[in-house]
Amino acid sequence: MSRFLVWVNKRLPLDETVKEHLTEYFAPKNFNILYYAGSLLLLMIVIQLISGFFLMAHYDPTSQGAFASVQGIMYDTKWGWLIRYMHVDGVSLIFILLYAHMFRGLLYGSHRAPRELVWIIGYIIYLLMMAEAFVGYVLPFGNLSYWAGEVITSIIHAVPVIGPPLTTLARGGPGIGTATLQRFLALHVVLFFLIILAAIAMHIVALHRVGSNNPDGVEIKKHNGPDGKPLDGIPFHPYYTVKDLFGVGVWLTIFVSVIFYAPTMHGIFMERTTFLAANPMVSLPDVTPPWYLSPYYAMLRAVPNKYYGIAIMITSVLLPFLLPWLDRNPVRSSRYRPVYKIMLIVAGISFITLAWVGEQPPLPKYFLIERAATALYLGFYILLPIISKIEPTRPVPERVTG
Amino acid sequence: MSMYRYLCFLLVSMLVPGLAFGAADTVHWMTPHYTFNRTTVIAGARYFADHCMACHSVSSLRYEYLTADLGMPKTEVEKDIMLPDGAAFKGTIVSPMPPDMAAKWLGKPPPNLSHMDRYLGSKFIYTYLLSFYWDPARPSGWNNYVFPMVAMPNVLAPWGGTVGPKGHVIYPGKLSPAEYHKNVADVVAFLRYASDPSYFKRMAIGPYVIGILLLFTILAYLLKTAYWMDLKKGGGAGMRVKGGNK
Amino acid sequence: MTTVTDAEHGHKNITRRRFLTAATSAVGAVVAGMVAVPLVDSLEPTAAAEAASSTTVDLTPIEPGMQVTVPWQKKPVIVINRTPEMLASLKETMDKGILKDPLCKVPQQPPYCTNMYRSRVPEWYVGIRICNHLCCIPHYRPKKGSVAPWWLGGFHCPCHGSMYDLSCRVIQGSPAPHNMAVPEYELSTEKMSATITHMYPKAHLC
Repeated sequence: MSRFLVWVNKRLPLDETVKEHLTEYFAPKNFNILYYAGSLLLLMIVIQLISGFFLMAHYDPTSQGAFASVQGIMYDTKWGWLIRYMHVDGVSLIFILLYAHMFRGLLYGSHRAPRELVWIIGYIIYLLMMAEAFVGYVLPFGNLSYWAGEVITSIIHAVPVIGPPLTTLARGGPGIGTATLQRFLALHVVLFFLIILAAIAMHIVALHRVGSNNPDGVEIKKHNGPDGKPLDGIPFHPYYTVKDLFGVGVWLTIFVSVIFYAPTMHGIFMERTTFLAANPMVSLPDVTPPWYLSPYYAMLRAVPNKYYGIAIMITSVLLPFLLPWLDRNPVRSSRYRPVYKIMLIVAGISFITLAWVGEQPPLPKYFLIERAATALYLGFYILLPIISKIEPTRPVPERVTG
Repeated sequence: MSMYRYLCFLLVSMLVPGLAFGAADTVHWMTPHYTFNRTTVIAGARYFADHCMACHSVSSLRYEYLTADLGMPKTEVEKDIMLPDGAAFKGTIVSPMPPDMAAKWLGKPPPNLSHMDRYLGSKFIYTYLLSFYWDPARPSGWNNYVFPMVAMPNVLAPWGGTVGPKGHVIYPGKLSPAEYHKNVADVVAFLRYASDPSYFKRMAIGPYVIGILLLFTILAYLLKTAYWMDLKKGGGAGMRVKGGNK
Repeated sequence: MTTVTDAEHGHKNITRRRFLTAATSAVGAVVAGMVAVPLVDSLEPTAAAEAASSTTVDLTPIEPGMQVTVPWQKKPVIVINRTPEMLASLKETMDKGILKDPLCKVPQQPPYCTNMYRSRVPEWYVGIRICNHLCCIPHYRPKKGSVAPWWLGGFHCPCHGSMYDLSCRVIQGSPAPHNMAVPEYELSTEKMSATITHMYPKAHLC
């Protein structure tokens, strides 16, 4: 075996790669529960790939056949219901992990220098995931799929100059039809997916280049032992491989519980309107996006003006790109920045509130809370450059505290 | 159509059913009471075959699933459920009513009920079936509090009775209200099964799958602690340092 | 992968680690199998494909002595309503000793058709009408003496001359090696219908 490995290593950098990224990649030893999200996201993307492949073996991307082919998967294909629930529940669980992962980043300053690119690439992955989810949920061609496709492609239509021709390119014809489904399937399975995989690879490479951050926000490389290795670091393999394996066990138990005991999560993971076939003549009694896109929808709705609403929505989607530079405090982790921590928690609660409000009907009784939550959420970004410069901070330890 | 007009159209079209559901605000929603098990669903399947299948299909279901999922013997399925001409055991459950004639006779083709429970919910369907009232202004003579101007006549009137617009009983039904409500609840249970036949399979396998995963998780946790014990002594970089680190 | 550990507690810990790694891997493999099996099974023909794969034939219009050939899974299936004379000819053919496999030893038919009639019910023959030689569709020649003076009724293939009796058993002198294949089917004389469901897995079509 070892002679085989010597032969391989002359031709591929196997040992070096394993050393650089696993056995001699020193990660801080004080990772907490929020640090499971990254490896779990890798697991989930593999699960989506596998379940998606087996779904595609039965899917018919035509306007006449799409809905029926999905029902065929649910009723006639052996274990089809399991594969479909895996894929749909997988999406919602991925977004839960994504939000936990991003929140962890902001909480501990993992987006700050020298990790700006890790954050930027990561946020690009998030946007790509939203696009991937959107083209994905048009495919089953229920009534929700149809009208979601109509509305989003109509939003593209509102963009000046390039909007209308882009909408025609997206739809491939009048309304959402076979041409749309075919190109959305191609985007979902090939283009967006492969770009996501490439972005994930870059994200990890960028991270390993500078080394992982930790909940205390201190640089472990500043304090090395006599062997040159960080005193507060531990080799990723075997310590974090084995810890992440445990995380996988817990997570899969949760995942399977959802699939078997609450596959639609009472209308949150799979909306009721997915179960009616697409009907251009019958619009939905409620026009709600999936929960993970709902905050942006709520912000769009909060502004009673067409162009300003779209502008606010696009701004709120793009603002997080600027976070590494909006935050101007020398201290990284919110553990030592009580004001920043409160701002972050307020922004987080506003975001969750917006997600909830976005699912409610557009009644006047929700307007106040919708607008207040929008103001608070956007306020976080606007106030951060100012407050981060003047906020009081606690003394930052030299070594990690755990 | 511009985005603004489009959103307005959507808003208004939301109001139209809203006007209908305006009446729905005064609807007293009733929850069906049943134990969702195989017996109830089989009873509902029989009732569905007797009273609903003349017009409504559940075409995502096949007759063979009643045997595979519910344990209903094939002979009973063939005798009691496979009523339409040309029904095959492996075939889908399709109503014998031709859709084009249905549109002519009733104004609208009776919808396929395969996913109706997941779309509208058990509470809606149950209340709907119990909310018909006699309305001479309608072509069929029937109207419904939950779904105003519905094209469906009250097929179950002989058993549940006929009620007028003010709630007064015009003709009593053959069954007592308790029995009638049970039958309707059974049908709703069947429709719930039809929306998601994987239910019984999931309940059967679920505990085992979660059991194995819990076993895996426990072993993985023990494996993790076996490695991380090194660090309790305070060493970094995987080396156990005697005396702890500084 | 070995990590350097303290010599004092090293041995016990390494054994424990090795055991736990093995145990976790074993259960992990079971979990992976639990996932893989349904995924692979999902590629099997769906219930819709299975339902479409059966063809039901109505037997009422088939007069005695007549046959009907219907397509099933893109293959021709013949259903013959055999008369008592035709059934008698089967015994005669066997007695003449001109059949290659009179006792149907080669499993070209399901077990319930391993008899002289090669069918569930003697009067009704259901079989795949494909010559066992090179897959042509043989002519139906029920009339005595029609193909040769000694002809008692059966099938004659126009491509290379293979001959079969009225149970599609191959006659000696034919290039075809085996009797024609019989599929799995259900037949009900009360309902007067036959449903062809699957190929018999051990049979060779041609």
